[in-house]
Amino acid sequence: MVRTSNGSTGKRRSKFGWAVTIAVAAGVLLGAATIPDQGLWFRDITRSAGVAKKHQKRTFNNVYSSIMDGYSALGSAVAAGDYNGDGFEDLYVTNTAAGTKNHLYRNNGDLTFTDVADEAGVAIGNDAHNASDDALWFDYDNDGRLDLLVVRMGYSKLFHNLGNGKFEDVTKKAGLYKHMNAITAIAFDYDRDGYVDVLVGSYFQNIDIFKPSGPRFFPENFETANNGGGLTLFHNNHDGTFTDVTEKAGLKSSGWVLDVGHGDADNDGDDDLYVACDYGTDRFYVNNGDGTFTDKTESAVGFDTKKGMNVDWGDYDNDGLLDIYVTNITDEYMREGNFLWHNNGNLTFTDLSRETGTYDTGWGWAAKFFDYDNDGWLDLYVVNGWVSAGKESYLPDIFAMLIKPGVDYADARNWPPMGRKTMSGYEKKRLFHNQHGEIFKDEAPRQGMDSIRDGRGIAVADFDNDGRLDLFVSNVGTEPYLYHNVGPRNAHWSQFVLEGTKSNRSAVGAQVRLTAGGRTYLRFVNGGNGMASQSTMRVHFGLGESKEIGKVEIRWPSGATQTLTGLSPDRIYKIVEGEPEAREFVAKARK
Amino acid sequence: MTKASLILFLLLPGASRASEAPEEQFRRGLDAAGARDYANALSNFEAALATDPDNLRYANEYRQTVIRSKEYDRSLKFFDKLVTDHPNSANAWLNAGFALIDKMPVSGAVTQAILANTALTRFTNSIKLQPTIVALYTRGADYLYWPRVFNRTPLGIADLEEALKKQKAAEKQNYFFKTWVALGDGYWKLDRIEKAVAIWKEGLKEFPGNADLQARLNKGGDELKAYMDDYYDFNKRVDTDVRFLWEGQKGH
Repeated sequence: MVRTSNGSTGKRRSKFGWAVTIAVAAGVLLGAATIPDQGLWFRDITRSAGVAKKHQKRTFNNVYSSIMDGYSALGSAVAAGDYNGDGFEDLYVTNTAAGTKNHLYRNNGDLTFTDVADEAGVAIGNDAHNASDDALWFDYDNDGRLDLLVVRMGYSKLFHNLGNGKFEDVTKKAGLYKHMNAITAIAFDYDRDGYVDVLVGSYFQNIDIFKPSGPRFFPENFETANNGGGLTLFHNNHDGTFTDVTEKAGLKSSGWVLDVGHGDADNDGDDDLYVACDYGTDRFYVNNGDGTFTDKTESAVGFDTKKGMNVDWGDYDNDGLLDIYVTNITDEYMREGNFLWHNNGNLTFTDLSRETGTYDTGWGWAAKFFDYDNDGWLDLYVVNGWVSAGKESYLPDIFAMLIKPGVDYADARNWPPMGRKTMSGYEKKRLFHNQHGEIFKDEAPRQGMDSIRDGRGIAVADFDNDGRLDLFVSNVGTEPYLYHNVGPRNAHWSQFVLEGTKSNRSAVGAQVRLTAGGRTYLRFVNGGNGMASQSTMRVHFGLGESKEIGKVEIRWPSGATQTLTGLSPDRIYKIVEGEPEAREFVAKARK
Repeated sequence: MTKASLILFLLLPGASRASEAPEEQFRRGLDAAGARDYANALSNFEAALATDPDNLRYANEYRQTVIRSKEYDRSLKFFDKLVTDHPNSANAWLNAGFALIDKMPVSGAVTQAILANTALTRFTNSIKLQPTIVALYTRGADYLYWPRVFNRTPLGIADLEEALKKQKAAEKQNYFFKTWVALGDGYWKLDRIEKAVAIWKEGLKEFPGNADLQARLNKGGDELKAYMDDYYDFNKRVDTDVRFLWEGQKGH
């Protein structure tokens, strides 16, 4: 038995003339008639969708501007989330240049979007003292509406969703008014108290990078730097405020954090952490289940000297354990290689990036697991490229600095100016198709996804609710891409929107195990994993040829478990914690 | 005996004017290394080298023991002192360079670049003192590992051409095939594919059935590129074991 989320059964037509109500099922929606163009599975609809506004890089007006220009090649981020509860995933896209605005693209339900950032009160993102770097949708007060954290170098901003299309800046009231050079954030319920907490990663140490008081704020070395911004964990006090519990939780650190990701590595019910750091060692923290974490880096993954950029968790080989994908720098001059950390099941991981063909993606940034062809195996999309500029390479300049004896790398004055030079630029993006968990094959050229823009973030979401996952890619200093998935409809799928009652309302951290066709797939609700981006919080399963779903088991963050049977493929269901039946999910959007 | 082979001969351990004491220390070092008593082995090898810094055999066994015991920093410190104490010892400079290369696989990417660059300086010092086939080959091959943007490949080719010239004038040695391989690789890296193939073919005439030359000639296009990328992956240990100089076929 399946009910709609508003309590009625079947399709519903809104009483309002402007509303279009859509029962979400395969073949019903807008994309149903689309046929792949010349075999391409993705169509670039950035302009027609109205999301083509160009990202503008930050420029620095201080004595360190000549080197900081390279570091300003960041800040192009995207977060997908249904902020207005209409059943269609919206987008928040950041800008970086001082005086520029961020964008809130409301999904009109027909693969077009309207930038409503101004009227919603979330446009202001960048000024002389602050620059946006990331964005995060999360429901911090469990009111069922996604709130917004704009992650900034400077002061990040928390916007409370008022439910009428508008947001209120509650940063100070919430206790989050803290100066940090924040670059990433995730929201997850680390202590499983029913409210999501916020973990922020910072790149530079806590100085005003727009007006530094001294020159020594760059990494002290290239491989084990410990003078970065580290982590800050804000515990949710359940009353709309947060408390910094970083030290108490055992997460005090000083790495050059670029990304953080949560996932339950040992299936013990609480989420562990992987932290990707530039200029040095990534970190793996095991959640002790008592509100603290233990740094298990050495035993889990070993210490590395690389330049970690991205963390995404997903069970790529369908063995029931979440694996981790981390991007690093791989180029002619530096062959660090990415990590595909295969989860061994005992809180240790083995890097299988070489064996699986996911080792080399250039100067990698965001990478996301997603099943674009609904065959039941998580594929990967990876964006890359640091600075694509003039013909001259910046590499010899950096090298000249490196071989100078006794140079103080922490002193920004010792770094060569970048000017219009290129470094790891014009790199082709990768769309890795997962071949049954054994090896990945790059399909980007064939699918028209091998852009050479400097990519940063990837938001995976089903923007038209047709069961095929689309991508929004944020690029730095240029237009983004919105790739509409128009692949063949010969595979089945299933999506779940979860709502916690005892658990946090967005059910972040919930694990869903779906059995179909003799195989069990594990997916989970993630609270913002991935560099400069947040993907959908919906749980998506590709089911391949399976026409029936055996059962769906949910392990809620509260610890409760729930099993559902009798569900049909090619549907989006809403499941509320504790309710015995799934509801058919209904979307409504206005043109 | 030609001039080139005379120079090579002079560098070989049998020709070094080793007194009994260092030879005895070397033997003790070998025994200790065999018994995995690395600390003892290293001390003995160091003592032997301090007396006979040009001895390739001593230095080679020392570096192989360093690799096994992972005592890279000790080795670097030792060679720093050795070349300071013996600035006119060509083989000390050569081994001081090898010691840096030996540390690369356990180093981060940036440290690798610094190590490789410093090694080049040491190889240059060795060549300035004695431009042997081995030293020229070593520096030439090192240049080939550098990204194209540094424009070091032509320097590598120049060294390798010089080494080849010396080889042609010298008595043929089994390890001479290495120069043919590397020289072809240099031209390949400059996108002079025909020239590269011609060099490898010529090398194959000199060394029929040679696996390294044959492997290159059997491939083309992307397959050859993948092979070369893998071959010149500086995360992999570069074989700096020069035992082949006195043990015949070693080094293939």
